[in-house]
Amino acid sequence: MSDLDRQIEQLKKCEPLKESEVKALCLKAMEILVEESNVQRVDAPVTICGDIHGQFYDMKELFKVGGDCPKTNYLFLGDFVDRGFYSVETFLLLLALKVRYPDRITLIRGNHESRQITQVYGFYDECLRKYGSVNVWRYCTDIFDYLSLSALIENKIFSVHGGLSPAISTLDQIRTIDRKQEVPHDGAMCDLLWSDPEDIVDGWGLSPRGAGFLFGGSVVSSFNHANNIDYICRAHQLVMEGYKWMFNNQIVTVWSAPNYCYRCGNVAAILELDENLNKQFRVFDAAPQESRGTPAKKPAPDYFL
Amino acid sequence: MGAPDKSQANTNSMQRVKVYRLNEDGKWDDQGTGHVTVDYMERSEELGLFVIDEEDNETLLLHRISSMISTESKKESTGCSYIWDHICSVQRNLHFNSLNNETFHSANSELRELPVVELSTLPLILKTVAESGIADQMRLTELILTDQEFFRKLMGLFRICEDLENVDGLHMIYKIVRGIILLNSPQIFEKIFGDDLIMDVIGSLEYDPEVPHVQHHRNFLKEHVVFKEAIPIKDHMVLSKIHQTYKVGYLKDVVLARVLDEATVGNLNSIIHANNAIVVSLLKDDSTFIQELFARLRSPSTSAESKRNLVYFLHEFCSLSKSLPMVQQLRLFRDLMNEGIFDIVTDALQSQDKKLVLTGTDILNLFMNQDPNLLRSYVVRQEGIPLLGLLVKGMITDFGEDMHCQFLEILRSLLDSYTLSGAQRDAIIEIFYEKHLGQLIDVITASCPLEGNAQSIDQNVAKPEILSNICELLCFCVLHHPYRIKCNFLLNNVIDKVLLVTQRREKYLVVAAVRFVRTILSRHDEHLINHIVKNNLLKPIVGAFVGNGIRYNLLNSAVLELFEFIRKENLKALVKYLVDSFWDQLVKFEFFASVQALKVKYEQCLESFGPKGSTNVSDPRKRTDERALEKEEEDYFNEDSDEEDTASASMPNSQKVQAQPQPVLSNGVAANHPPSSPRSVGLVDYDDDEDDEDYKPPPRKHPKPPMKKGTMESLRLKRKLASKDREPELAKRQRLGKNSKPKESVFAALCTTLSQAVLPNKKTASNMHATHTADGVSNSGEGKIQENEHAISRSCADSNNSEDEDNREKEPATSRGCSDPCMVLRRIDSWVERTAH
Repeated sequence: MSDLDRQIEQLKKCEPLKESEVKALCLKAMEILVEESNVQRVDAPVTICGDIHGQFYDMKELFKVGGDCPKTNYLFLGDFVDRGFYSVETFLLLLALKVRYPDRITLIRGNHESRQITQVYGFYDECLRKYGSVNVWRYCTDIFDYLSLSALIENKIFSVHGGLSPAISTLDQIRTIDRKQEVPHDGAMCDLLWSDPEDIVDGWGLSPRGAGFLFGGSVVSSFNHANNIDYICRAHQLVMEGYKWMFNNQIVTVWSAPNYCYRCGNVAAILELDENLNKQFRVFDAAPQESRGTPAKKPAPDYFL
Repeated sequence: MGAPDKSQANTNSMQRVKVYRLNEDGKWDDQGTGHVTVDYMERSEELGLFVIDEEDNETLLLHRISSMISTESKKESTGCSYIWDHICSVQRNLHFNSLNNETFHSANSELRELPVVELSTLPLILKTVAESGIADQMRLTELILTDQEFFRKLMGLFRICEDLENVDGLHMIYKIVRGIILLNSPQIFEKIFGDDLIMDVIGSLEYDPEVPHVQHHRNFLKEHVVFKEAIPIKDHMVLSKIHQTYKVGYLKDVVLARVLDEATVGNLNSIIHANNAIVVSLLKDDSTFIQELFARLRSPSTSAESKRNLVYFLHEFCSLSKSLPMVQQLRLFRDLMNEGIFDIVTDALQSQDKKLVLTGTDILNLFMNQDPNLLRSYVVRQEGIPLLGLLVKGMITDFGEDMHCQFLEILRSLLDSYTLSGAQRDAIIEIFYEKHLGQLIDVITASCPLEGNAQSIDQNVAKPEILSNICELLCFCVLHHPYRIKCNFLLNNVIDKVLLVTQRREKYLVVAAVRFVRTILSRHDEHLINHIVKNNLLKPIVGAFVGNGIRYNLLNSAVLELFEFIRKENLKALVKYLVDSFWDQLVKFEFFASVQALKVKYEQCLESFGPKGSTNVSDPRKRTDERALEKEEEDYFNEDSDEEDTASASMPNSQKVQAQPQPVLSNGVAANHPPSSPRSVGLVDYDDDEDDEDYKPPPRKHPKPPMKKGTMESLRLKRKLASKDREPELAKRQRLGKNSKPKESVFAALCTTLSQAVLPNKKTASNMHATHTADGVSNSGEGKIQENEHAISRSCADSNNSEDEDNREKEPATSRGCSDPCMVLRRIDSWVERTAH
């Protein structure tokens, strides 16, 4: 069994890797991700997943429902970290799968894959707690900068974490972003990761999130038309039913963190597309209580203080 | 977490708040003023957030806490965590309060007293512990605490059961002890974690009926864990706390890891935190201890092994000091510095033992996070082995599988020009440019094959990771030290050398080199741009782009973005240079909108250039005062006695002029040169190319643009003017001197928000420019923050005038959200609204 396979097995048990293993994994991931496009092409069949937010045991439920990688092809729409208790294990497992099966799993960037946001919402603290230093956080956030910004499934379904941007009318414009940077406070790259569709807005509106925009049905129609796209698939917003269509089936939100923050009481969903792009939503619940819980940490063998 | 005294004050004071409701028009309706509490909901064990009207005692707001959904936003975090902390602490406090306040819930409690602790009553005790509701739990806690003998007797029973191998009894005791810990009472913890009980408590938790094998926790703690005493600690109290801390941590992370709920983990962490503070505090005040520590660290007779342990100890000591209050921590670090901790770290950094080296950097990082000036003041001192050099060396050393990003991190903090501390910082920057920048560049040249000779790498080749860190640091320098890099890069052909990285096989390194050039361009510096054009420095980048073909990867995106930037920022010299030199290669990529647009721009330039023949690189759309400022800045730079350069004194001025073959200076010196050679073609006139051996004229397959002559003339004219214009310039420079400080700090304020970002996005780049006009800031970066604060600012807008808003803009965003409980409540209300969709 290769080191990588062993690490994947270990991560599947929710046990984090050693610092040195994280470093090696990140360096390999960098070489793979640098070859990806800002609009990464993805072939069907593929299963699309929304926000995970460090809910490791719920992600295991997701794989139970959707099938294991690499048997099933996956597209994850970002927000792997923060909020849940296992951001480290969640992100490292996905990254290890990416390195092991680069063509079977696509990871794109969410607004939480950012230095600034992770320092507030948990990933930073988790790394510090689990490793005693923030080195792992540094390596992971460096990798975030390499993650692609969007995906295009069979030239027909555009997938992105947040939504559209007034600065972007064609997919080609997304291709001219140098994505290797911290998520900026404004501009196209920021909007793709932060924007939300909104029923009441016609055209563009200010987002209450403080970054990105609200965009209405007409914006979606013209974008889809201009780029010859069937519909947009995005995540970023909690929907209690796991998924939600808007604007006459021109955009769908997929949310994959059941019982978000361990208290919202929502169900989660993933979207399975077969080779003909037929859709099937699979809805699932949070992992039962018994199956979770922190695995015992290895105690330090010695101590001074 | 764990500040019960503080939170108690909160509940007691019953905060007065206003309640607003978000109506359908997106406006906030005032619902009244009242007092906020967290309490149990009627007929339910769930907690709710209540606001009771102060006038008529009506409930203004009632919200079940468990179902709260918080949607994140960039700036809401403090508000969220404020209310969340509040709720958590109130939840904990309810436990405490019940002890002192009989009226609270105990009325409906059936629990009157605990059974006597005996083997036969274990099932009854277990039933009491396991089946009590919240109200009963409080009563139970109280009873356990009143019975002084309870734990002594229970542990006595445990030992008997263990002796008799009474498995049923042991299982029951396990459940009882676990249940009692989950009561999460600090007073109970204080009892059971005492020296006399804690090992028995851990022992009783070895018998989990759901785990098939008995655990051996006590054995592990007694036999396998090593308590290392780098220096013997004599204070019994300190020793007891140290051992207790380890055991409580072990209990939390190992023994009960799968059992504990968040609140209990929080309280256990508080205990650990408080213990650490006590230990560090007692040790630091023990002057003989600290003196002995440093004496041993310095003594030549101390063994290497023992010194290593002392450094590890020091690291743990510094790291635990985070538990101290800020002021004390700062004082401690200052004391440690005076004792000579940086000498010790300097030694550690020279060790062959990589773990020791990294421990040294970890100590430095702790200091940097606390107060960077402590380390700065050490780094600038003259005597001894220079620490800065060791850090640079560390950054370019191969640490194998170990992470060593700390070096880059520390260097960045030391060189950060946005932090406000004058002399020391400048001195460090000075040393860095004088002694170390060259070292970094040498690593690059040694590690990259020369063009067309992929095999020329020798064994000095650095790991790609190191090269990537160097590129990152260089980008950082470009943004932080614009004047220095300008001087240094032009003198030493740094850009040329860094671009050798494009020859590397690793694509992320090639992209790093592209980004380096892009960062330089973001400075909008005419000299650097001319330098790039003149030395044909975009050749390797275009080469890499062309070689990459039509793969839509990061390299493709980065170069297209570079083209877009050049076009949008109207860097005409570069537009012309690119199209003139590389169109034959780029034409294949005309289907990329960015490439095509570049060509269109080029043609536009040709048209507009024709009659006027100006070579001015700067954007004509810019406001004139802005341009004037830029000009001043140039002149400032071009002054031989320029302050920053005198400070650097890396070279006497006369030498500097000699060492500079290219007349990048557009002042009198350059104007005295003979007119440029006739072989110069392009649109831009460059003189004395003959000095420049590396210069490869770009291919000339295109018809020469017709207006060359006019261009040259105007350029000469400009130079003449420049040379005659000395005196007014001096006056201008003084003005600039005055302006430069606030300008820098505004710029700093803007850029710190970018945090780690190496590459400013387009807008930021233009913001940087905007800051040249000192008051132009409000409508750029800061304005956005106002917008970010949507949730808060909207709710305040009615009561605040615009002046007020301006003031608030200057406050750190984080300090706002929590200051006013009304805001928090309003926001919760809006969460509730949003959940409803």
